[in-house]
This record gives sequence, structure tokens and C-alpha cells, in this order.
Amino acid sequence: MGTLIWTTIGAILTLSVYSFLYKDNPFYKFAEHLVVGISAGYYLVIYYYNFIDPNVVTPVFQLRLGDQAIGFGSGAWWLALIPGLLGLLLYTRFFPRVAWVARWSLGIYVGGYAGLGISPVMQARVIEQIGANALPLTSVTNVLIVVGLLGTLAYFFFSMKHKGILGALARVGIVFLMVGFGASFGYTVMSRISLLIGRVSFLLHDWLQVV
Amino acid sequence: MNVFEKMLAIDRRWIFLAIGVAVILPFFFPLGLPVVVTPPVQHLYDAVDEIHPNDAPLLLSIDYAPATLPELEPMAVAILRHAFERDVNVVVMTLHPAGYGLAESALLTVAEEMGQEYGTDYCFLGFQPGTSAVILGMGVNIATVFPEDAYGTPLAEIPMMDGMRNYDDIPLVISLAGWSAAEAWVYYAYQPFGQAVGAGVTAVMATDFYPYLSSGQLVGLLGGMRGAAEYEVLIDTLDKGVQGMDSQSIIHIMIIILIVLGNIAYFGARRRRKLEETEAA
Amino acid sequence: MERTCVALAVAALLTVSLAGTAGAQEAPVEEALLDAAPPDSVAPAAPGALAARDYLDSNDAGDKIELDWELSPDDGEGSCDVVAYRLWRSQSASSPGELVTELSPGQTHYVDQNLEPGAQYYYSITAYDGTNESAPIACAPVSGRVNLFQTTRLSILVLMAVFFALVLIFTKLAERGAELFVRRIPGLNAIEEAVGRATEMGRPVLYVPGIGEIDNIMTIASLTILSHVAKITARYETPLIVPTARAVVMSAAEEVVKQAYAEVGQPDAYNPDNIRYLSDAQFAFAGAVNGIMLREKPAANLYMGAFWAESLLLAETGFEAGAIQVAGTAMVSQLPFFVTSCDFTLMGEELYAASAYLSREPKLLGGLKGSDWMKVVTIALMALGAILNFMGFESFVNWFQTQ
Repeated sequence: MGTLIWTTIGAILTLSVYSFLYKDNPFYKFAEHLVVGISAGYYLVIYYYNFIDPNVVTPVFQLRLGDQAIGFGSGAWWLALIPGLLGLLLYTRFFPRVAWVARWSLGIYVGGYAGLGISPVMQARVIEQIGANALPLTSVTNVLIVVGLLGTLAYFFFSMKHKGILGALARVGIVFLMVGFGASFGYTVMSRISLLIGRVSFLLHDWLQVV
Repeated sequence: MNVFEKMLAIDRRWIFLAIGVAVILPFFFPLGLPVVVTPPVQHLYDAVDEIHPNDAPLLLSIDYAPATLPELEPMAVAILRHAFERDVNVVVMTLHPAGYGLAESALLTVAEEMGQEYGTDYCFLGFQPGTSAVILGMGVNIATVFPEDAYGTPLAEIPMMDGMRNYDDIPLVISLAGWSAAEAWVYYAYQPFGQAVGAGVTAVMATDFYPYLSSGQLVGLLGGMRGAAEYEVLIDTLDKGVQGMDSQSIIHIMIIILIVLGNIAYFGARRRRKLEETEAA
Repeated sequence: MERTCVALAVAALLTVSLAGTAGAQEAPVEEALLDAAPPDSVAPAAPGALAARDYLDSNDAGDKIELDWELSPDDGEGSCDVVAYRLWRSQSASSPGELVTELSPGQTHYVDQNLEPGAQYYYSITAYDGTNESAPIACAPVSGRVNLFQTTRLSILVLMAVFFALVLIFTKLAERGAELFVRRIPGLNAIEEAVGRATEMGRPVLYVPGIGEIDNIMTIASLTILSHVAKITARYETPLIVPTARAVVMSAAEEVVKQAYAEVGQPDAYNPDNIRYLSDAQFAFAGAVNGIMLREKPAANLYMGAFWAESLLLAETGFEAGAIQVAGTAMVSQLPFFVTSCDFTLMGEELYAASAYLSREPKLLGGLKGSDWMKVVTIALMALGAILNFMGFESFVNWFQTQ
């Protein structure tokens, strides 16, 4: 019975959102506001219990890290306290006189993640691709890959005007880009339809139980 | 209004209705259209097939949210069924906060269905935020990132996790994600540690992942509900993935017809307008 | 009694191996047990000298030790009853420690893995005949050393050095006032036209900086363009609404817009209520932005940054609402939607080029020019690799495979 109630609520909300296809209406607005509010509350709770509590609150206040006791002032204690304080400092932006302090936390956060990403992204997206795309022109597929690659790179070359050979290559590149976008669009249509199928399956199988 | 202009002016709600009917009908009248397996899916299946039973586990990172559930949950269920059928141990975790409930639900449902025992055949590590930090941390020592499982049991007390230290002890990681988590596994698990990574992503994202597949950074790739359907065919257990393919195929044909008709209407109306302007002149 | 016990053990082991649960390492020991001479109470002769050293691999993390030993005189000869070598490891000289592994007869080499780099280990080895174990043969303590340089990653070092050099050179040139040519991107005119149209109609401009995190490069580029757009809206006193999906991005957007208004001399016109955090959840955010479009009716929608599945929801609703739309993203999967439903689209790197072109910041210009010439280097390397590959020299291409 409990499952039926929640499934019915889910079905009503699904149909409320789909009612937007006819026109905007209070049911859609209600469902929209409900999902905004619930998602904020849900994520807050999940983040607190899975992240803030075990990584900051428990080590600093309960002096434990998982199942291990850690001492006041120990290395692990400082490692939990300092990032936690930096996170709290982000809230100083609400107070105009000390709002500049938040930039320190933001700088560390942005700089840290940017630095962490430079090498692996360069490896995965550029260097490995150089090796994978250094193809001899011995088959139609290889020719298409190489021509498409050169044309696309030419289109995104900003240091010279698109004239002469560069312009011609750039026009070839645009054709490959548009073919690629078309393929991507098709994949995306497939994805959207799959989501619709999933919802219909929920309505017919889980809620109405007619299939 | 000529016929072409009438076609262009069709209220889109009729099209929505037609699509809705086309999706619903195959649920009542299944067509049983064949699903052909493609190489990226076959490669991922083969990679799972090569894992030794009752030995080092498969790490399944269920990183999806409710919004992408219809595409990615069938993949999770199919992969779990494949692993459990072969007595391959499975460790499940998630990098998405909303993925916690979904990962647990998929895992426990399939484990119960296949008579698997928690702690010996599978375990659930739960959620940790900070994607790149989590993946990098697990490459050094899993226990520093997940000191306990999702239910508060220290990893050292879980039989199947005994002796498991980092990626050296994991033959394969599969990430099922509708966001950049799958890419993060390539950047932070494959590149620094050489960890074999497979991915299951929404069809929208699949095009972004073919460069990783062709350069050997991914062992295999499942794209969308279609990828899930192909995997279900390989494990010979047809479920939601294959069930959705009939509707998928009909809608695709319908969209192709609509695109053709739309183009005919557009160019026809344009030509008719030019003719009228010429006649008026 | 002894023979019965051994027979039972053999039967049990046979069952185990037939059930297929034995790993590759254990199988040879069982087979050796079946082929061994009848059991006795005499231990086999000990193996020969044991030598241990840091694993000789230039790309090692210091967590492996390599071991070599000589065969026991009773391995295949003499009493011919050795069924396994037992390798023991300890972190103290006074105890034999734990059994690392059992190795099959005939083996003289093993690599111990997953060790603590720098920690000292004491190894000993014995010969085992299924019942009796020889005296242990030990070696001097050994520890693994971390190799600080991974030679398999040399290509990354070289190419990143080239890339950073190019970026630094062009940045320095820009700082010194050198004229660095960047061709005009057509989509930029569209942004200014869109803001102008919103001003004429007396309706706000909606600027969506995507749903990426602040560390996403597209979000960073979007914030640069936001600064430019904010300066125009400040000058024309057009309301600017900026909905965000990440709290940190909202922080950054507030800073950027406030700064832009101050630079144009309109600090009082800045309205912090227009920079809004809506929701982290993707579709909740899209729904909320759609709500803004339908209720506040902006005349110009600018979508700049990282978008995922919500892109079409946003662009379609904006199209229906009749706004002029300009989009810019490097998300290949979302570009098709923006191209079909927006008036202009900045594709891929054009987004980054736009932020460099608009701001003329030396660092952004340097980055753009550096990446441009890096494309030339990339093309040259690929062409060279293709030619060498065709001629049968694969080592050049293999140099780029970092794993």
C-alpha cells in the first residue's frame, strides 16, 4: 500500500510535468517548484551526512577518522580543520566588509582543481589522440579521418583569416562539423526518446501495472 | 494557405500526441525487433568476461541520477547480472549524491535475485564527493577514501575487501554516468595508474567518448538504452533495455518521416512564395 | 595413519582442483603433490642463495622487490620431493614473518608487489615437500626505491613544455603591446546586437553561464564574456539576470558583474537579486530558468558555458518565447541543439576565442595564440607519425602512448 501511494504521487508529478506540452499551467508550476525545493533539501542532507560529517565534524569534534581515534592537534585533525575553515570562509561574501576573504578560498579551490586537471586532460585529449590519429592514408576510413581532422583544426585556427588554402580547408571542416553535429543530434534524439520510454514504462508497469 | 504552409503550421501538440501513442503501443503489442550487438559493447562484455571468479573484484561506479535512470539503470542491472552469474565479486560505489539510493537499489535487487551474499560476493561503499580527489585517492589506498562501507562496517572487516589496497587489486572499473564522471575515471584512474576503465553513458554523451575508445583509453562503451539492450542480448537476459527498443525503433522511423515531410514543406513553401512573388511582379 | 592422512589430503585437493576454485598459482603445487615421491620425515635440502633487490624498472613506484634464488638440490634431483618453495617476508630480523606465496618447483624468480616504498623487508625461502620444510635461507634486508621520473610519460613533458612555452611567449608579446591578430568571430556581433535589442524593447537580458563547476574551463570563459555583457547592460541600464546552478559559480558571477558595473561607473545600478542560485539538480535548474523566461520575458537569451541535457529545454523555451538567442559552448553534444534553435552559436573554441577577443587580456590572448600554434605542432607530429607508420617505424607513434 505504501509503495502504491508513493508510486501514485510519482505518476501524478510525471503527468503534471508532461502537461506543459499542452500549455503552461499551475500543475506544471507546482511540480517545478517542488523538484527545485526537494532537490535542494535532499542534496543538503546527502552532502552533510556523506561529506561534511565524516570529513570535518567527526575528525574535528569527535576526534575520530572512520573507526580510528585521532588526537587533538594531530596531523589528521589539522587536515580536517583547515579545509573546513576555508570552506566556511566562502560565506564571508555575505558581509561586504570582509567579502574579500572569500576570494582566498575560491582561489585555492579553483587553482587546485585546475592544476589537478591539466596533465590528465592533456594526456587523454591531446597526446593519446596524436598517437591514435597518426594514420597512413591506406584506406578510405583513414583518409576521411585525416581530412576531417585537418579541416576541423583549420576552421578553429584564429591566427589567420580564412582565405586561400586555409579557407578551403576550413569550409571542408565545416562540412565535417555539421555531419558530426547531425550524428550527435541523432544520438541525442535517441537519448530523449529513451527517457520518455522509461517514464512510460514507469506509468504502465510500476503504476498502472497493465503491462 | 497552400498545402506546404498548412504542413508547417501543424500544431506541435499533434506531433507530441503521435509520439506518445507510438511509444505506448509497443508495450501492448511488442514487435520483437532484433538487436544487433556492436563492437564497443562486445569489448566491454569481453572485459567483464575475463575477470576471474571469486577473485579480484569488478568496481562498478554507479554515478547516475534519477534523470538518466531509464538509460543507465538497465546497464547497471545487466552488468551486475553478468558478474554475479560468473561469480565475479563486485564492489559498488557512487560519485553522485543522488546515485546513493539508485546504486543501492539496483545492487540489492540483483544480488537478492541471484542469491549473492553481502561481504563475500559484493559490497557497497556508498557516496563520496570530490570526484577527481576520490578517484586519485583510491589509486593510492581505497581505505583512505572509503574507510567504511555504506553501512558503517570498516573495510578491513569485510571478507572480500581483505587485502584490497588500490587499483593494482582491481582488474576493471566501469563507470555508469550521465555527467562527466566517466571522463574523470579516464583522466584520474587510467592515465596515472593504468587502470582498465569501461564506461556506460547516456546516448547524448556517447559521441564524446568515441575518441577515448578509439585511442584505447576505454576498454568498451555502452551508449544509452541501446547499449543496455545489446548487453542484455549478450547475457541472454532480456529486460527493460530490449523492451524499449521496439518503441525506440518506431519513433526513429517516425522522426525520419517527419524530417523528410518538414523539409518538403519548407522548400515547397519557399518555392511557392518565390513563384507568387514572380507572378505578382 | 600417515598414508591415510596424505591420501585424504590428495583426494581433497583433487576435489578442489576439479571444482575449479584453485588459482593459477596453486594448481602447479597440487600437480606437483600428485607427482611427488611418497612422503617421509626428512625435510628437502634448502634452496641455494637468495638475493633480493629493488625492482629494476625505471618507472617503478618503489613498491616492488625482485627475488632470485637457486633451486634446491632435491628439486628434480636427489630425493626429488620438493613440491613448492615457500617465500616468507617480515619487517623484523627476529621473526620469519608472513608467508607471501608458494611457488612451484623449478621457479627461481619472483616479484613481490604492493609493498611500502622505502620500508625495509627481510625475506627467507624454504623448500617444502608437502609435509616437511627445509631450513630457511635468508638474504640481507632490502627496500624499494621510488623512481621519480616515469620515462613512459616523456611525451607529456615534452609536449606540455612546448605548449607552455608557446603560451608564455605570446602572453609576453601581448603584455608588451605587440599586435596579435585574432580574426573576428561573427557570433560576437550577435551578442552586442542581442543586448541592444533588449535595451530597445525595455526588457531584461538573460545570461546563463552553464551548469559546470567553477573549475570547468567553459565556465571560466563564460564569466569573462559575462563581464563584457555586464558592462554593456550597465551602460544602457538594461536589467541583467544571471541564473546559476552552482553556489561557487554564483559567488564568482556576483563578483564579475559587480566589478563590471563599478568599472563603467554604475555601481548603484548593480542589483544582487538578479544573480540567482536556483538548483544543483540539472532539470530542476532548467525548469526554473524556463520559469524565468516565461514570467520575466527577457528579450535576449545568452547561453555561454558548459551545458548538458538541459540545453535544448532552455533553447526551445527561449525560442518559443520569441527572444533573440546567442549560444556558446564547447560541449559537442549540445552544439546541434544550439545551432538549430539559436540565432547564432559560438562553437567549441570560438567560446574561448570570444573571451580573449573581447577582453584583449594578454593572458587570454597568449593562451589563444599558443593553442593555435600548438595545433600546427600537432598536425606536424601526426603527419610525421603517419609517414613513419606507413614506412614501418612504429616507435615514434608508440612514444605518444603513455600507458
